[in-house]
Amino acid sequence: MSTYFYTSFATQMLGTLGAGLSNFPWLSASILFPIGSAFVIPFFPDKGDGKEVRWFALSIALITFLITVGSYINGFDISNENVQLKENISWLPDLGLTWSVGADGMSMPLILLTSFITALAVLAAWPVKFKPKLFFFLILVMDGGQIAVFAVQDMLLFFLTWELELIPVYLLLAIWGGKNRQYAATKFIIYTAGSSIFILLAALAMGFYGTEIPNFEFSHLAAQDFSQKFQILCYVGLLIAFGVKLPIVPLHTWLPDAHGEATAPVHMLLAGILLKMGGYALLRFNAQLLPVAHAQFAPLLIVLGVVNIIYAALTSFAQRNLKRKIAYSSISHMGFVLIGIGSFSSLGTSGAMLQMVSHGLIGASLFFLVGATYDRTKTLKLDEMSGVGQKMRIMFALWTACSLASLALPGMSGFVSELMVFTGFVTDEVYTLPFRVVMASLAAIGVILTPIYLLSMLREIFFGKENPKLIEERKLIDAEPREVYIIACLLLPIIGIGLYPRLVTESYIASINNLVDRDLTAVKGAVKTNIFSGTKTNEILKAPTI
Amino acid sequence: MPQASEIAWLIPVFPLIGAVLSGLGLISLNKKINNSREIVSVGLISFVGISAVISYKALIEQINGYQSVEKLFVWANAGDFTIPMGFVLDPLGSVMLALVTTITLLVMIYSHGYMAHDKGYVRFFTYLALFSSSMMGLIVSPNLLEIYVFWELVGMCSYLLVGFWYDREGAAHAAQKAFVVNRVGDFGLLLGILGLFWATNSFDFNEIATGISQSISDHSIPIWAALLLCFLVFLGPMAKSAQFPLHVWLPDAMEGPTPISALIHAATMVAAGIFLVARLQPLYSIFPSIQFIIALVGTITCFLGASIALTQMDLKKGLAYSTVSQLGYMMLAMGCGAPVAGIFHLVTHACFKAMLFLGSGSVIHAMEEVVGHQPVLAQDMRLMGGLRKRMPYTSTTFLIGCVAISGIPPLAGFWSKDEILGNAFISFPAFWFIGLLTAGMTAFYMFRLYFLTFEGDFRGENKELQKQLLIASKTNLDEENEEEHEEHGSIHESPWSMTFPLVFLAVPSLIIGFMGLPWDSKIANLLDPEEAETAAKAFELKEFLPLALASVLIASAGIIIAYQAYFVKKINLSVLFAEKFPSINRFLSNKWYLDDINEKLFVKGSRKLAKEVLEVDSKVVDGVVNLTGLVTLGSGEGLKYFETGRAQFYALIVFGGVILLVAIFGFQSPQVS
Repeated sequence: MSTYFYTSFATQMLGTLGAGLSNFPWLSASILFPIGSAFVIPFFPDKGDGKEVRWFALSIALITFLITVGSYINGFDISNENVQLKENISWLPDLGLTWSVGADGMSMPLILLTSFITALAVLAAWPVKFKPKLFFFLILVMDGGQIAVFAVQDMLLFFLTWELELIPVYLLLAIWGGKNRQYAATKFIIYTAGSSIFILLAALAMGFYGTEIPNFEFSHLAAQDFSQKFQILCYVGLLIAFGVKLPIVPLHTWLPDAHGEATAPVHMLLAGILLKMGGYALLRFNAQLLPVAHAQFAPLLIVLGVVNIIYAALTSFAQRNLKRKIAYSSISHMGFVLIGIGSFSSLGTSGAMLQMVSHGLIGASLFFLVGATYDRTKTLKLDEMSGVGQKMRIMFALWTACSLASLALPGMSGFVSELMVFTGFVTDEVYTLPFRVVMASLAAIGVILTPIYLLSMLREIFFGKENPKLIEERKLIDAEPREVYIIACLLLPIIGIGLYPRLVTESYIASINNLVDRDLTAVKGAVKTNIFSGTKTNEILKAPTI
Repeated sequence: MPQASEIAWLIPVFPLIGAVLSGLGLISLNKKINNSREIVSVGLISFVGISAVISYKALIEQINGYQSVEKLFVWANAGDFTIPMGFVLDPLGSVMLALVTTITLLVMIYSHGYMAHDKGYVRFFTYLALFSSSMMGLIVSPNLLEIYVFWELVGMCSYLLVGFWYDREGAAHAAQKAFVVNRVGDFGLLLGILGLFWATNSFDFNEIATGISQSISDHSIPIWAALLLCFLVFLGPMAKSAQFPLHVWLPDAMEGPTPISALIHAATMVAAGIFLVARLQPLYSIFPSIQFIIALVGTITCFLGASIALTQMDLKKGLAYSTVSQLGYMMLAMGCGAPVAGIFHLVTHACFKAMLFLGSGSVIHAMEEVVGHQPVLAQDMRLMGGLRKRMPYTSTTFLIGCVAISGIPPLAGFWSKDEILGNAFISFPAFWFIGLLTAGMTAFYMFRLYFLTFEGDFRGENKELQKQLLIASKTNLDEENEEEHEEHGSIHESPWSMTFPLVFLAVPSLIIGFMGLPWDSKIANLLDPEEAETAAKAFELKEFLPLALASVLIASAGIIIAYQAYFVKKINLSVLFAEKFPSINRFLSNKWYLDDINEKLFVKGSRKLAKEVLEVDSKVVDGVVNLTGLVTLGSGEGLKYFETGRAQFYALIVFGGVILLVAIFGFQSPQVS
């Protein structure tokens, strides 16, 4: 299949294997295998502390990771901008529903990220003793469900997977969460389910647009020539739905609650993968399928991105609860994704993509560390910690490394992605110069705010004199090898990307270039219509009220 | 064997390998590594040693006229953009490399003695190696973006090292302050780099300069934009090289171990800003107004640092403000369009200031035997005195350093400082005068430090004074801590590993000035041969002598006053000056109130802003979701908000935000260029 990889001996071996496997349904396998395996779990003997289930879940998650890696190596050609690894099975033809999966440059990195983070989350869930069977069942179902979200190529199917993935998350929050878990879980489900009605509406509208027989396939929708008003209508709905997920301020308030109550492994999944669903969907639908509306709304995305960065950084600084602090920092980092998507430049958009991967790794590592610290201190309040670093030196080192990664230290992935977004946006001639100057300057304030809250946090937890009450009541043991291993697994790609970003960017750059070309054409078209109709300004402001 | 210039990229790689190895060891085999500390330190010293050998070979090649080497590869790309990385080795880089590797090596040897009893010995050496690697990387960076990368990395190492003793509150705060203040500068630097990239499509120093001048001549960029970008880029060096008003982090950074103060906060990292401005000379020389701003900032910094140093009682803080002042001189040179003079002063200053700091470390090391590990006591000069007899090597080298920095010929400081003052006299006579005044102050405060520390009688046993100092500093000592330090030692000279670097550095402090004689400047020949030739031709003794004489006279005056006041005690400055002008004295000892302004305006202000935003978030944004917002509005709860004016505040924020959004949004429909 892909001659590109026949370069080294090792890949050649895989390639020979792959020749036989070229028809292997890689993506379906990576979706159905973890879900199918999860249904074996109920038949495990119901005794002990769930040791067997843990190992079972870990091996399934690892095999799933290997399957996704296999699909990348065997069936994915990075120089091809189109959807690859396609599988099409008619499912419910009356409804126009087909089992249609595939992957292009925008899906593939996120599919790999999902299976990678999930495997680590299973390892992070080692200490879970309460109802382990149900817990790992849900994690495995979530693994498959999330890969499906990134892999499906049919909008109706996308809606279904998007909704299905809510159930395990809801249960994981409501059963294993903290004190306010019911409130948090309910808020989460109301927010996400409520907003996803817009996805359904938009999907139906787009699928039925101009035809008798509905067709929801992305390729079909992409070829459609939707009218401007229609696009704007769909765009607004989808923006709200995905804005909740990403999240975009002011639709974000479910996140601190949900993240604040989740246990560490669930937390890793929420921050590492779930937030990326919003960014991915914005790219896939709003930017790709509705280019004309995107041309109108992109400035709003930029503004919202800047608001995200500054607003969330400030709230994070004022937070006294460790988990909520990190949760707000996630929101802040997602602002760069928004700016990148709205930038109309290939560099900026691929920076947004990289920021998603990078934050997936960094966010997961920080949330894991929060969980590990909580296991020892039994408190998340910064006021009740101090001088912890003297007993937990290795933990201190891991925290420092991950915080530095989060504040975009060069040599780590966050720096590269933020730099690409900045450079892409600033050099982008679509926007006027004053707009770019103001927005870039405001976004760059994040460069100052991020270290303020992250380093203050480190100082309050680890530096200074030991808190006598904490030392007396809790046994502070240093990081164990399992924890060091998890962080090492996350730091390796973080630093790898930081040193040589093309490791990741090459895998999606073809698709992104294609997407940006499409959007740029739409921008030029939009300006033209504006000039002809004589209304020089403010298509945008009027548009949402149609 | 390949030419060293061709393999210069290896110079930062070797210490990095060492740092990574010992860092991984610390994480995985903590106990074993800490038990074999000598093996680790010798290993790391040899890694830096290899880099030093390559650096010196490269320097010799450059002196012999080998061409500059630049190699690039594509680091990131998207669309039509490519971001190149690589390395460059030119005369300026080779001088800096030789300087940095030498001082790093000496500081490492010194640290073996200074940190001998510290639990974090291995961690300290690992950080040192990491720092040296980043610093060397910064020097070989061929473009602005790569400089930014290493710029941040040296900042991170500084953060880690200032906060090295993380159980001390002061160190924790200082480390954070250093990082955040530097980030303020980096904010400008990053925006400037991005803007220059937008304007010229390049990160390369020379290409940027030619691109900008071309864009200005064909009016594709307005001149104000170009000026703004140049200034933004300058913010980076202002923070890193501790220029007014971003110098506030440097004195606090003295909380770090003294070898760090010598290496990072005197000789190398703080010089990175000067180095970057030197690299950007092709750009800055286009704009006289930017040159003027640079010179102005340099002059203010130079005067401010020296004036605060006059009243400092903490030995290390005094040296720190002296560093601030000397960095101001270097910046002044850059503003006068004399980068060679600035770099020359950078080199000489690195030698004698590193030696002075290491000397102060030796003094503190000795004092800790007597007064305990409390920095408030061990670094206060009121408890010192008479150390000369017990510490011959330290006191002699410290004296050499004082003479050198004061600008007494023929020691190093005279030649380099005079070079700067001479240039300032031509470009900005007013700045020359302030610089001259500062030279007198420098001589005064340096000899004040020397006399208070090494001459007179030893005052360290004075328990009453110790107690007063502790109370004044508001340090609450735990009782057990105090008992621990009751045990008495006596002042003695430090071990050879600490005195050797002092003696070694004394040599260049004495003679390195001859590298830059105004009539035959070897360093100018290397860095800028054409300029050197014209300068040597234009040199006239009768122009040089009056200026030189003026600075020597004013320096001598400073020394004599210090001698009268602190050695023979014939004049009492507190009666003569402090009591007559109490406001000036308070102004100086409160460091121009800059720290207070900083604390009140920025630290408290940002905290307050963050709290209010959080409140808006939980009460307004989330409140709407929970419908509680509506309920409270209708109940007494809501009325309370109205009474306190909180509601108006919320409304202001929300509406202001919306209006801003609408306004920006309304103006911006996408356009095609």
